[in-house]
This record gives sequence, C-alpha cells and structure tokens, in this order.
Amino acid sequence: MERNRFQRILRAAWPRVVAIGMLLGIWQLLVVVGVQSPGGEPLPGPGDAINEIGFLAHTNVLVPALLQTLERAAVGYVLALVLGTLVGLAVVRVPVLRAGVGSLLAGLQSLPSVVWVPIATLFLAIGGQVENAVYFVVIMGAFPSIAMGLMSSYDNIPPLTFSLARSMGARGPRYYRHFIFSATLPGYVAGMKQAWAFSWRSLMAAELIIGSTASSGLGQILDNGRSLDDLPEMFAAVLTILVVGIAVNDLVFAPMERGLLRRRGLLPA
Amino acid sequence: MNVALAPRPSIVTREAEPFVTLDGVTKVFDHGKRAMTALENVSLEMTKGEFVCILGASGCGKSTLLSLIAGLDKVTSGSIEIADGRPAVMFQEPALLPWLTVRRNVELPLRLHNVDTDQRNQTVNRLLAMVGLIDFADHRPHQLSGGMRQRCALARALAQESELLLMDEPFAALDALTRDSLHDDLNRIWQETGKTIIFVTHNVREAVRLGDRVVLMTPRPGRVAQIWDVDITRPRELDSFEVSGLAHEITARLRAGAATDGAE
Repeated sequence: MERNRFQRILRAAWPRVVAIGMLLGIWQLLVVVGVQSPGGEPLPGPGDAINEIGFLAHTNVLVPALLQTLERAAVGYVLALVLGTLVGLAVVRVPVLRAGVGSLLAGLQSLPSVVWVPIATLFLAIGGQVENAVYFVVIMGAFPSIAMGLMSSYDNIPPLTFSLARSMGARGPRYYRHFIFSATLPGYVAGMKQAWAFSWRSLMAAELIIGSTASSGLGQILDNGRSLDDLPEMFAAVLTILVVGIAVNDLVFAPMERGLLRRRGLLPA
Repeated sequence: MNVALAPRPSIVTREAEPFVTLDGVTKVFDHGKRAMTALENVSLEMTKGEFVCILGASGCGKSTLLSLIAGLDKVTSGSIEIADGRPAVMFQEPALLPWLTVRRNVELPLRLHNVDTDQRNQTVNRLLAMVGLIDFADHRPHQLSGGMRQRCALARALAQESELLLMDEPFAALDALTRDSLHDDLNRIWQETGKTIIFVTHNVREAVRLGDRVVLMTPRPGRVAQIWDVDITRPRELDSFEVSGLAHEITARLRAGAATDGAE
C-alpha cells in the first residue's frame, strides 16, 4: 500500500522533474555562455537564485512577503469568485443580458488587468489604502473567467437534460440544484482554474506597480531588487512567484478538476 | 390463435372511459413558406392500462406526437387530454445524469417531489430490483452497458409514479439480444404495474411484440394510416408465427404507403 502510493507519486512527479530540469539546464547554459546585463553584471544562475531565496528566508523577508501575497491572492480570488458567479448566473438567467454582457465578458477577459492599475491607484489607493486598489485589479483580472466558465458550460448542457427536467416537472430552486448547478460544474471548475492563473498574474502586476510603500509582498521583493540592481534577488522573486503559481494549480485546482471529471467518466480511471 | 387483421376501432376504447384522448391534433412547425405540417388531425383514444405502439418511418411525426403528449411542446390545433397528471417520459437516449449514481438517478423524481428518505429508499430498491440493477446501485452511468442504462432510465421513469409512461424509441440504439431481453422485462413490468404505455418505434416486430394496439402513421404530414388490435397471447416471442405474420402484414401496408407517398 505505502509502496504503491510512493510509486504513484513518483510516476506523477517524474515528467515535472524532467521539465523543470530542462528549464534549469537552459538557464544554466545562458549563464555559462556569459550573458550579461547592459550594465555588465553577469546573469545569475539557478544556484544563485536558490541561494538568494535561502538568504531572503533566513533574513525573515521571504515568509512574511509570501504570506502577505497569499492573503491578497486568497481574498481577491474569493471576491472575484463571488462576483463572477453572480454575473454568470445573471447572464444565464436573463436572456436580454446574454448577447451584450457575453461579448463584454470575452472582451474583459482579453484585457490585460495591468491596464486597471493607474485607474485603481488614482481612485482607490487614496491615503495609503493600497489593498483596495490591489483587490480591484485582481478582481477585474479573474472574475470574467468565472462568469464565462459558468456561461459556456450552461450553453453546453445537452438539450435533452432540459427536456428531462421539464418532463419531471422540476422547477425553481430544485431545478437549479439538481440540474443546472451539477451540469455546469465542470465548466465552472475549469473557469475557477483559469481565474486562478489570471488573478495570480494580476496580483503580481498590481504589487509590482502599485505599492512599495505599504506592507510588502512578493512583487515588492521584485521591485526592491530592481531598485537596488540586485539581479539574484529579482530572479529569486521570479522563481518564487512561478513556484507558487504552479503549486496552487497542481495542489488545488488540478486535483479538483480531475476528481470531478473522473467521477463523471470523462477521464480514464 | 386469433390475429385481428382489420383496421377497426378498439372495442375496449368504446366501452371504458378513455385515459388519454387526442382530438384532431395538428402540429405545424415554422410559418409562411417554410411551414411544415408535422402532424395533421391525429385523433386517438387510449384506455387505462393499455399498451399502444405508435409505428412509422422516420419523419412521420411520431416523436413530435409523443413530445406533445409529454407537454414538452404545444399543439397548433386540436387537444390532448390526460386523465391523470404529468406523464413520465423515456427517451431514445437514456439521458441519465452523469454526476449521479444509478440509485441517485432513479431517486431524482422522488427528491424533486419531496418524498421522505425512508419511502424513497424503499421505492428505489423495489424499482432497481424490478429492472435488475440492484447490484449496480452505486455505479455511475458511464460504468454501465447501453442496456443497463436504459433499464436505469426505465426505473427512473417508473419512479415518477405517473400512470402514463411515454417511450420514444427507447431500445432503438441497442443490439438485438439486449433489446429482446428488455422487451421481456418491459412486458413483465407493464403487467406488474398496470401502467398505460405509449411506445413510439420504427421497428414493426417490436411494435407487434409489445403492443395491445399498433397505430401506423404515414409521413408528410403525419397521419394515422391504420390501427391494428394485437390479440396474441403474452408473453410473445419476437420470431413466433403470430408476431411474424402480423408484422408481415403491417410491413406490407407500410410499403404501400411509402409507394403512394413517393408517387405523389
């Protein structure tokens, strides 16, 4: 049993290990070739970045920044989830909203959420209220994916499902609970997964640009590195941001989606 | 063995109170130049507990007729009256909800109508036993064979506890062996439960094997061409002499209809 579990983890892990190894290899190659910044500083290698991460952790910078950023990500994501769900439901329920709001959502989704940073700063970050501006940017980045996921999965419900519901006389809350919510769940979860990617990148843009004055997150470490021309610190920040993004996806959203699809027989068991 | 050949109105219908009454049912899709008359002046009466097969080639409006009776669509003119509430429907595809287990699928109509847990479990167990799926109660639809899925859909339709069961070519997508065993089961379940069944099919032998009456429809526009009473003792065999004989006669009438249809 234990051995089986170990083997399974190993089997799941090795393609990732190879992919990461290749990335690090290419990175190291650029270092060996002698790539330099225009200022003449040599490109730090993976080892330098990892050392720097150790240093940042040791000097009690990394963990507080990481926690701060994760808190923002979590709060912003939940707000986006609520807004996206409400908008998605409204679009699904009210046919008039359909055409207009549908295409608007697609537009918003393709709009890089960085463009909201100046406006958010001007309107929301008054008197050092940086958090509000950050949340706004994260929400604008992430909620369209949620709403779109809900909308498109509603569109993909087989017509027979509606006929079935009608022939059973399903109405009101029961109709939504037993038919619509369950039927749209896979698309909704796919939207949640995509929204995570959007909210994470929006958050980084916001942290990097909006607030170096307030309590600092991972974006501020990156910004700090830029101010001090500290290349290893910048790479350490980028590496950490990448790892967090992958970890949340692989540990939270991917298993959630896989479990759901497997239960419905849409994935091999 | 008495096989009634003449297209005459059913004697039963005359005597008993009709359970389902179709009166001059007409259905036109679209308007103006694109208007298409799917059904024209279809009148039919069914008594309680009767098993009626509606037979016809594809495009004769038989599925349209069924969805009108099911209340999934509205008649253009004419009327449909059902003595007892909302009919249960079984479609050509099982239409099981893939996120629910077999048990949960069957129990869905009961949940929708607030039946309490004890009674729900009792009913579901009884129905699963009836369709032979009791050992598969916790499977999900994708783990079942095509025949089992339709058994599950049948159990779910029965769970609606409607007196009227509408079946829209439910066995058309199954292989011959599976279909044959489902015919046996449906015949048994119909006799056990006393439901009124309207069964739509394009399979002549299937209609003769199952029905008390076979209603033949001709296409463009869909009309009732002829009605046969099937007085063959049950349970019937698909390849029995009587079933083959009547099926042969109906097929000949179907061909004749197709020929005049082509000549028009």
